[in-house]
Amino acid sequence: MKPAKILGPTLLLALLSVSLSASAYDADWKRGRIYYRSVCTSCHVALPVGQINPSSKTMAEWSGYLQADKHAKGKDSVKQYVSKSYRASIKSANKAAEKFADVPDQELLDDVKAFLVKGAKDGEAPASCS
Amino acid sequence: MGLVSLRRSAGCVLAGLLYLFAASGVIADTKPLKLNTTADHSKFKELQREFQSGPEVTKACLSCHTEAAGQVHRTKHWKWEFLNPASGQKLGKKEVLNNFCISIASNYSACTSCHVGYGWKDASFDFTSEENVDCLACHDTTGIYKKPPGLAGHPQLKDVENPPGSGKITKGIDIAKVAQKVGKSSRDNCGSCHFYGGGGDGVKHGDLDSSLAAPDKDLDVHMDATGLDFTCATCHKTSSHDVAGSRYTPTAMDKGGAHMRGKEDKSNPATCVSCHDTAPHKQDARLNTHTGKIACQTCHIPEFARGGVPTKMSWDWSKAGERDAEGKQIVRKDAKGHIIYESRKGAFELGENVKPEYFWFNGDVNYTLATDKVDKTDGVTRINWLGGSPDDGKSMIWPVKVFRGSQPYDPVNKTLVKPHTAGNDDTGYWKNLVWDKAIEVGMKDAGLPFSGKVDFVKTEMFWPITHMVAPKEKALACTECHSKSGRLAGITGIYIPGRDANSLVDTFGWGIALFSLVGSVGHGLMRIASRRKHEEKENG
Repeated sequence: MKPAKILGPTLLLALLSVSLSASAYDADWKRGRIYYRSVCTSCHVALPVGQINPSSKTMAEWSGYLQADKHAKGKDSVKQYVSKSYRASIKSANKAAEKFADVPDQELLDDVKAFLVKGAKDGEAPASCS
Repeated sequence: MGLVSLRRSAGCVLAGLLYLFAASGVIADTKPLKLNTTADHSKFKELQREFQSGPEVTKACLSCHTEAAGQVHRTKHWKWEFLNPASGQKLGKKEVLNNFCISIASNYSACTSCHVGYGWKDASFDFTSEENVDCLACHDTTGIYKKPPGLAGHPQLKDVENPPGSGKITKGIDIAKVAQKVGKSSRDNCGSCHFYGGGGDGVKHGDLDSSLAAPDKDLDVHMDATGLDFTCATCHKTSSHDVAGSRYTPTAMDKGGAHMRGKEDKSNPATCVSCHDTAPHKQDARLNTHTGKIACQTCHIPEFARGGVPTKMSWDWSKAGERDAEGKQIVRKDAKGHIIYESRKGAFELGENVKPEYFWFNGDVNYTLATDKVDKTDGVTRINWLGGSPDDGKSMIWPVKVFRGSQPYDPVNKTLVKPHTAGNDDTGYWKNLVWDKAIEVGMKDAGLPFSGKVDFVKTEMFWPITHMVAPKEKALACTECHSKSGRLAGITGIYIPGRDANSLVDTFGWGIALFSLVGSVGHGLMRIASRRKHEEKENG
């Protein structure tokens, strides 16, 4: 391959990697903790499944669950419950949803994931719902 | 190089530049920005390496934060020593006893897991060493930094089978990861020790437990994680690493008013008054008449241990030592799964949503030390007691957790004793359940005499309650105190309407009211009758 042909793609890749690392989000497990406990737990306590402790699953199980994005055995998605639109729909009755109303969906999902993985059964600090 | 290739390459570069600009916020503001710190420590070369120990991390910290260790050295968090200027008593964790874990003497390796230092395993610890300062205990933001009991304040960096032979592996901490993510102290940092004082969650204080890590408004109106979200340091304002507030010289009455920016104020910033001033009730100003005699906490902390974590209310060491039929130590739990008996510690009573007891308190706290004489015939020995009276001009009525217990003492020397409890050795009580050996080692470490005889004495400790402040809607109602059997029934030296009554004065008062009523009604009736009579006369 001639140098001219690889120059463009190489530069593009380099620029992409620089930009991605510059914008990599450092998940905030404490914000995830508040959202999980105030939004997820507050619903689950009332529903038949009951509350789900982060320590009830392993890190791999939580990662797999969030990756699959299937809430209520696939009836809807997990992301939906972290989305801005969902937060807007419950913010009048839920202070966490109101407080984090403007947080980008992916950041908040990363925050919740960070809390769940950290608090998992085999995580660095197994955690409960409360 | 062909013209087409050059154009393609230029096109790719242009597309890349556009993407980079967009990603970096030049075109669109998408770059996440940390707003709670000015430095991302993961970018510092000094921290981009492996660390073999905590002190190695501290060395790296001090290469930039050159004054930090010296500042920490001056604080009570480092010294665990405090000379009470009023009483002259030498206090601090190093000196005092308590009626839960009793004492740190000879138990350093366990107790100093909560010291802001590394390596305090015995009395020879070097308090002048800068590298022994543990920066991470207070500045970890990952929540994974832990210092297990038994390691003298060191974190566990390697995987360990715990307990040995169990097959259960406790993972070591990636201390470089912790070091690269340091930040401002949070509730989790302070809580990692202060929530667990006395050997477990909520054991000691009652108003400090893990429920305060991310509480709701009902539990603490200031720390509400979705509301005001105060950290501990919001009130316990810290200067040069010295955290405001003290259990040995607390501020019982603050007449100084609210602190103002720019105005030098050396008074305690961790009081209610330092923000809310001395007349905080705007809607019902009558309540401000209470603030001269009633601590804010009395009405605004209706109960403690409200977050779902029980606190120990009593600890009876005299019941310790039982073994099962196989000679093994016993653990008993209540219906909720909370431990109420352990062979190595004795029997406990737990409480949730506990109403405090109330006392006049002027800020003076005195201690019974291991050098003071104790007389069992006195009934109960107060390990600490609160000064205060209704007429000293310095006291207010405070809510208090009274921690009751029974603990070992020397009936010959008539002193409280400091047993060697923690430790996997031949004399540690928690392993061997033999008091005289444990006490001999503990008292020797403390440099105190021990006769060899052991008895138990009832003790009390007094802990003013000041956290778990409820929202004003949940503060005490008037009748909680203004009634004969109300919360302040035992408080003397003050007239409380509704509680205090003199039957003669009451009869006289009600009599006047009744006569006034009869007089008014009678006068009215007579006026009506007189008017009718007058009208009948006129109508003829």
